[in-house]
Formats: sequence, structure tokens, C-alpha cells
Amino acid sequence: MFNLLKYEFIKKYKLISITLISALVLNLYLLTRGIAGSSSFLLLFPLVLSVLYVSDVIRTYSDDLNKKSGYMLFMTPNSGYKIIMSKLAAAVIEGIGMLFIYFLFILINGAFIIYQTRRYVDINEVMNDINTLLSGNIGINLGHVFVFLFAVLVFVIGFIVTVYTAMTIRKSIFSEIKFGGFLSFIIFIGLNWALTYVSGEFYSIVSPQYNSFVNVTTVSASELLVIMFPVIAVSIIQSIILTLCSGYLLEKKINL
Amino acid sequence: MNGNEILKIENLTKKYFNKTALEDVNISVEKGKIYGLLGPNGSGKTTLMKVIAQLHKQTSGQVFISGNPLSYESKSSISYMPTENFLYDSFKVKHAVKFYADMYKDFREDYAMNILEEIKVDPEFRIAKLSSGLNGKLKVALALSRNTDLYMLDEPLNGVDVLSRDTIMDLITKSYDETKTFIISTHLVSEIEKILDSVIFLKDGRVELFGDAEELRLSKGTSVEGLYKEVYKNV
Repeated sequence: MFNLLKYEFIKKYKLISITLISALVLNLYLLTRGIAGSSSFLLLFPLVLSVLYVSDVIRTYSDDLNKKSGYMLFMTPNSGYKIIMSKLAAAVIEGIGMLFIYFLFILINGAFIIYQTRRYVDINEVMNDINTLLSGNIGINLGHVFVFLFAVLVFVIGFIVTVYTAMTIRKSIFSEIKFGGFLSFIIFIGLNWALTYVSGEFYSIVSPQYNSFVNVTTVSASELLVIMFPVIAVSIIQSIILTLCSGYLLEKKINL
Repeated sequence: MNGNEILKIENLTKKYFNKTALEDVNISVEKGKIYGLLGPNGSGKTTLMKVIAQLHKQTSGQVFISGNPLSYESKSSISYMPTENFLYDSFKVKHAVKFYADMYKDFREDYAMNILEEIKVDPEFRIAKLSSGLNGKLKVALALSRNTDLYMLDEPLNGVDVLSRDTIMDLITKSYDETKTFIISTHLVSEIEKILDSVIFLKDGRVELFGDAEELRLSKGTSVEGLYKEVYKNV
């Protein structure tokens, strides 16, 4: 597993490096445009990064299934389950890495904006400002942030696994059928519809418990976790089932 | 299945859309021999190897490696060299060697580096920049640097110049010993005939002729190349 993960990153380190260097250069350029430039970067960078990230994790798997270089991976004595798990683990690590990089850019640009307005930067003051903002003014704390990030991570994994499963079905069950690509897209849509339906049903079952939160002006992190529990739970179950399905198909039915 | 059998294929059929690539193939491969899998383009040689290597799934039939049905674990006993350029373009030669060393417990890294030196493939070369001859030699070197039971080389002489062909043939003969089995697919029969113990002729996905090379030569009164021309004269 470690070796599979290692080569996932060796294959893409150049692309990641180029993306980060380009972002750094763009950020430096926009910093010369003052606060407006810095703010635009902070708004646009996560959008661009998300698109690049999703397209990269999908492209990597697609290349392994559709290009001859995929033979290198599928000739190795690794089970289908190990291969799909390593792909997912690489996607998660890459996602967390991207998030970390974005936080670094927030810090750099935040410090720049503060310096532009006050002409000095005191790092303690910056941290205090963030703390006040999180704990007091808008009623959230680090617990909320973690719940939110956890939920985002679970949704992203769920989405990636669904895409991977549709692609795996295309290269296994439908590999000898005409219009297999179209069929796997229909499967992807169908899977998403079914999962949304199940999630909705689950939500309606547990929603009466939320009545206790209705009259509360602020929601604690643990309450937020309870509110988000149905969709998080469905996403986790979805990821586990689809990962097992993909692993089975990769091992028993694949046609590269 | 007898004790000397390393590979057994029973009633194997492989279909793509409306095309049948392999039909009811039955083959038994014994340990310690070199087999020639012969046939023109489109006869099913590559498909057969890919099914054994588990890059393709058969439509029906079964394949056994040392008596066990195919599983991901059987990939440990098979060193397969695809005919396509499958090595990561962005890698240098030394990275491909490292990849094999990391992925296959039976890979002999020093042995591979010695072969590369012998065949003049610089480990610092980028794979994307290799000529087809160098790429062919590299693929063979990597496959032969594994110390395993069954080697399957798909068209190892394809697209390489005459000198490189000699180098590749040398590598194969040097790597052979009685514990190892080779299946070599090719349509360049004359180049490889001298090292073959047995031959499998595939025609339109079916086994047309299968047997000991020497016995066939004696019974048919012609070389394997002569037999090849006879079997495929209307193709």
C-alpha cells in the first residue's frame, strides 16, 4: 500500500509543483495591486484549486484505466481493493495538502492586508483577531470549523468514489458493450440520485430531533455534528460500499 | 493437471463487442520450456497473454497457474512484458527499475542494472526520449530481471532493429534455465525458431497447431517457419 501511494505522488509531483509555483507567482503579482488584488486571489484561488484538484484525481484514475501506462499498476501483485484504497488515500492526502496550502496563503495575504491597513503586523494580534472573530462575533469556534472540514472531506471522498466506481464499471461490466461510456455516465447519475434519495429519507427520519435546536440562536459544534450526521453517515456508507464494489470489479472483471 | 504443468488453459473464450478474439482455447504449458506463441497480427496472441496477465477478463473458460485459478496473487509468478510502450513516460530508466524493485519481491535490482549496462541503456535516460529499440530492450531487461516461474514476452522483437533483436535474443537465452518457462509471442518466426521447444499456432483466435517444435519439424518435414507459412498462407 505504501509503495502504491508513493508512486501516486511521484507521478504527479511535477504537476503539483507547477500549480503551486504558478499560484505563488500570481499571488506575488496580485500583491502589487494592493488589498483588492490580495482579496481577489483569496476568493479565486480556492475555486481554481478545487477544479484543478477534482480534475487531477479523476484524470489520474482515468489514465490508469484507459492508457497503456495503467499496465504498470495493474500488472503488480496488488489486490483491486488495495489499488482503489491507495487511489482514494492519495486523493485525500492531496486534498488535505491543498487545503493546508490555502491556509498558508490566507495567512500570508491576511498579514499583507493588515499591514496595508495598519502599517505594522503583530502576529499575536492577528491570531487574537481570528480568535475573536471565530469565538465571539459570528458565534463559531474551532469545533465548528473541524465539523465543517470533516463534512467537506467526507463529501469529497463520496463524490470521488462515485466517479471512480462509474469509471470502473465502464472498464469492467460494460467494457464489451457498445456505448459503455454513456451507460457508465447514466450509472453515475443514477447512483447520485439514489444516494440523494436515501440521504433525504434518512434525514426525514432523524429530523424531529432537530426541534430542540430550532429556538437556539447559536448552534454548538456537537449540535452541528448531529444536524449534519445523516448526510455524513450516508456519505460514509456510500463510500465504503462503492469502494468495495470498485475493488471487486478491479480484481475480478477489469478489461484494460 | 500434472506436476510439471505451470499453466493450463481450459475452454478459454474472449469476446469484444461482436468480435471473438479467442475461441475455446485449450493449452497446457510445462515447466522449463520455451514456447513460441505464433500467428499473424490479429490472431489473438496479445489477448491470450493479457488474459493470463489479468489485464483482460475472459468471457468464459478458466486459466490455472501451478494448479491454482488466476488471482491477483498469481501475478507474483508471472513476469509479463506487454508489446505496447507501457512504462511511465515521465520516468527515467532508473525510476522504472526502482518501481519494479518496489513492486516485485522477486526483482533483482543489481541484475537489472548490470543488464542495462550490458545493453547500453543509460539509467539517466528519460523513457519518453528512448528510441523504440532502446525501449524494447529496457522492457525485456525489466521483465527478465524478475526471478520467477513464468515469463511472457509479447512481441519482444517488434519494432527493433536487427542488432537490438540479437541483443534481446541473447538476453532471453542467458536468462533461461530449467526452472523457468517462457512464452514468447511473435510473427518473426525465423528470428526465434532456434530457441523454441514448443510452438502454439493461433489462427483467428483458435489453436491451429500445438506441439513439440522438433517433432513437428520431423513429422511435417519442414521448419517452424515453413509450417508458419503453410498455416497462414491464406491469411
